[in-house]
Amino acid sequence: MTKVNQPLLEVRNLSVGFSDGAHSLALQHVGFSLKKGEILGIVGETGAGKSLLARAIIDMLPGDGRIVEGEILVNGHAISKMTAEQRRGYRGGEVALIGTNAKSLLDPVVNVGEQIARILRAHRGINNKDAWREAIRLFEQVGIVDPHRRAHAYPHELSGGMAQRVVIAMALIAQPKILLADDATLGLDATIQLQVLDLLVEKCRELGLAVVLITHDLGIVASYCDRVGIMKSGRLLELETIRSFLNDGPKHPYSQELLDAARVRPLPMGYDQAQNGSQAPPLLEVIDLVKTFHVEGSSEPVRAVDHVSLTIRKGETLALVGESGSGKTTTGQCIVRLLQSDSGSIRFDGTETLSLPDRQFRDVRRRMQMVFQEPYVALNPRWRVRDLVAEPLKLGERLTRAEKQTRVMELLDLVGIASVKADAYPHELTAGEQKRVGVARALAIRPDFVIFDEPTTALDIRVRAQIIDLVRDLQKRMGLSALFITHDLNSVRSLAHYVAVMRHGKIIEQGPTEEIFANPKQAYTRKLLDAELPIEARAEASTPILQTEQQL
Amino acid sequence: MKQVSGKRRVCGNTALIIGLALLAMQVVAIVFAPWIAPYSPETADPINALQQPSSSHLFGTDVSGMDIFSRVVFATRINLLISVTAVAIAFVIGVPIGLAIGYYKGWLGSLAMRLFDFIQSFPVFVLGMVLVSVMGQEIWNVAIVLAVLFTPVFARLIRAEVLSLRDRPFIAAARCSGATDRTIMFQHILPNALTPAIVQISISIGMAILLTAGLSFVGAGVRMPTPEWGLMVSNGAQQMILGIWWVALFPGLAIVFSVLTFALLGDAAKQMFDPQTRSTS
Repeated sequence: MTKVNQPLLEVRNLSVGFSDGAHSLALQHVGFSLKKGEILGIVGETGAGKSLLARAIIDMLPGDGRIVEGEILVNGHAISKMTAEQRRGYRGGEVALIGTNAKSLLDPVVNVGEQIARILRAHRGINNKDAWREAIRLFEQVGIVDPHRRAHAYPHELSGGMAQRVVIAMALIAQPKILLADDATLGLDATIQLQVLDLLVEKCRELGLAVVLITHDLGIVASYCDRVGIMKSGRLLELETIRSFLNDGPKHPYSQELLDAARVRPLPMGYDQAQNGSQAPPLLEVIDLVKTFHVEGSSEPVRAVDHVSLTIRKGETLALVGESGSGKTTTGQCIVRLLQSDSGSIRFDGTETLSLPDRQFRDVRRRMQMVFQEPYVALNPRWRVRDLVAEPLKLGERLTRAEKQTRVMELLDLVGIASVKADAYPHELTAGEQKRVGVARALAIRPDFVIFDEPTTALDIRVRAQIIDLVRDLQKRMGLSALFITHDLNSVRSLAHYVAVMRHGKIIEQGPTEEIFANPKQAYTRKLLDAELPIEARAEASTPILQTEQQL
Repeated sequence: MKQVSGKRRVCGNTALIIGLALLAMQVVAIVFAPWIAPYSPETADPINALQQPSSSHLFGTDVSGMDIFSRVVFATRINLLISVTAVAIAFVIGVPIGLAIGYYKGWLGSLAMRLFDFIQSFPVFVLGMVLVSVMGQEIWNVAIVLAVLFTPVFARLIRAEVLSLRDRPFIAAARCSGATDRTIMFQHILPNALTPAIVQISISIGMAILLTAGLSFVGAGVRMPTPEWGLMVSNGAQQMILGIWWVALFPGLAIVFSVLTFALLGDAAKQMFDPQTRSTS
């Protein structure tokens, strides 16, 4: 038994550098301590050194990284003074790391039950049958439905959330004392993220683990952590209890900036006008749209879009929310005719588009654009920004080279990209800039209607806020109508006038944003809304989680 | 910054430097052959047959007394001409075929693929011998045989790339921006699909040199007295057991160096065309 006051994990003045000639240290004088049962959230943007910190703690620095200064103590013992044997025991036994992409951590050719059973056999020396029984019990514990069947599944057959649960189960086998979760729920649906985090935190509280929760989502930290550390460029700028961080405000200006960026913006401008004009003819009208896919090995076709109807008027933004696989993106792709719809009707400004031949659909395309989900893969890697932005101009009237040039520069200016970047290739841009190029492309021919497919996912807090502000600005300045496909409810509140909730290809509820958020009618909508981890909700005096902390 | 990294890329790459140096030697041999070679490559001199390498005959002479050094130098022309032509034809035909059958899929594409299977499943030398014996032992016929053999290689490579590219989001994005099938194929897909094919050019030239030599060796290639490396090795092989090593050795070395040249250049090309390593480092 350790002494009560001795921290379980202590990081003292830690600096990590790489010997590849970079002068600056990747981590600089980071110091914190963690008690048993405590959950520390580390927040920072890409490149802040969060993952590196986790790797340093688990004594697995990548490449030629090394600790330049300071030390890491576990139960009062410095890792650097341990023998190789002790270090191995420490890595496997005392501390466990849960990474971002769970599937890449699992062996693709072994079913997951066997993968767990293997570790159990190695750690506990039990026979195969017992190991399997224990594995299934563990699966049950981490909330895997139908564990008997799932245990025989291969990693690629599991959803992201399931795979993450398997990894959590794996991490818990060795009964570690410290758990490092490095963006463990990145890319998962909000409801799944909530379940996984609930599970993780509950297990950790139950077992008294110390947890370092690395994330770029302040909402997660606000909801689950006892303390929060803000990192930027390898430094720990601020370390604060979550309550004083939220209630008294951050002390460092950068932390304040992050917090502001993560907050919900007031409802978009033009809302009243849109409401008054509800008698105006709809710009886009989708009626009973159906799209089915044939899945190989199954005779039953999958209805990705199942009798979807929606209406968007000029100047309005409709948010289509739902979890991944609910058919949101498919609906969007059917509207811009990247996919052929099976039946139904899509009427754009009074014209039925489904029956239009491709040649005539070009005229519709000129007025209807789409911003694609993943910023990098949606840009041709061999084209320069200049050419990428100029490409859609072909749809419009003929322009001279000089006119094109000015138009491109105007667009880059509109989305806030420096003109020097015009000759850059996509991989030379940051994720935020790539997204902006995507927006610039969509706006190039001044469309009346734009579909934004997940415009804010996988972006850093501040970049996300910038994109939201950009879209808000466009709504205001250009009177843009938009379909906003997302699972980021925070951005829905900031951007959309109306919300449609989609599940299993069907729209189960739709209405004005405020109404849906205030008074959801469907249980599923409520579940979706509950999964949002807003910072505001936690800013009040105390939360259940904090109460448990007080009891500890 | 860009220039520095570009410079480092060229300087740091020893494979590229050696490859380019070897290539330069061959180019010099091709262009200046009449001035470099001390004797005519096709003139027999039976009195001086099978001379050891000496100052008058640098690589010695062969069974009919022809100067091996002169023949090795002149053969560079024939061998590279055949190989480069063959690969160029294969590239020009294979790439568009691969692009079309990858983009449009369809039964015609499947048919083309089965035809490629057929060509590629045939033993190379049997096919070569049949074709050359039907068409005649001319160097152009050798080139055509090789082109037939290599066309499927390029078509398959491009097709595989196109298949993975055509479903990428940036293609969908281009379609939304009003790009036609032609624009998508030639401006979006082709530039992204070309890298492996360009790398393959170099590898194929190396293979073509080997195959030309091999075909000549088995008697299905060019005929005497045309200076050609494989043919020379073939002639020399008969004397090898008698301890007359120089007749086969020097053309053999020429083949080795020439193939090595293109293998090295292929490696260098692979690194250079990768957009990830380009200009980010």
